Amino acid sequence: MTRAERTVTFTNEQIAAYAEASGDHNPIHLDGAFARSVGLPGIIAHGMLQMGILGCVASEAAGGARRLRRLYCRFAGMVEPGYTVTFSAEDAGPGKLSLSAINQRGEPALTKASAEYL
Amino acid sequence: MGVEGKTYPAVDALIEPERVTAFVHAIGADPADGVPPTFAAVYSLGVTAPQLFGDPEATIDFAKLLHADQEFEWERHPKPGETVTSQGRVVSDISRRGMRFVTFETHTTAEDGSGVCRSRALFVIRP
Repeated sequence: MTRAERTVTFTNEQIAAYAEASGDHNPIHLDGAFARSVGLPGIIAHGMLQMGILGCVASEAAGGARRLRRLYCRFAGMVEPGYTVTFSAEDAGPGKLSLSAINQRGEPALTKASAEYL
Repeated sequence: MGVEGKTYPAVDALIEPERVTAFVHAIGADPADGVPPTFAAVYSLGVTAPQLFGDPEATIDFAKLLHADQEFEWERHPKPGETVTSQGRVVSDISRRGMRFVTFETHTTAEDGSGVCRSRALFVIRP
């Protein structure tokens, strides 16, 4: 398979679960009042949570996580709880994938995303 | 300038099976697929970035920090129960128009010294 797609609606629970599992307890991901105090609209999802989901989609397109050799993305847009993001992977030549993450308004959450696999 | 070229002491990281399970659940990975590739956020970037953020010489204001991009390259993916070693280094530290751009690379190796993963993060510190 060289094409895969997954649509995820982010929740506070998923963001908190990622904070716990990853050890990234930055309060911008957990505490709405703190997030607003540093100029954010509220809690935002970890960029690395988005990249984690992107990695799952890339792994599926690559024929298994063991085959993934490189993953890159730029964190381009904030993702808040309630946002729905579609992550997709498409064939971009032998051993290469072109990846994207687009929110419910059609705006990119991640840009320049790509992967390589064996 | 800044802390460009600075290398931090190597850190051992145990790939804890319970933590892998929690991570698999949080990102919605296939549990049959082993340690998710992006678990490198924990065993590579995750154990070394705090050294940079907590370095008084680096003077990074955490409240103004943005993770701008991220790359991982793997030679292989670690197994649950394995201990790997990660070492972070500041590749570049550039200030432009009040913004500071810090490229931080982490090299993760296995107990026998063979390569596992290379992480490269770009951090932007807003004025």
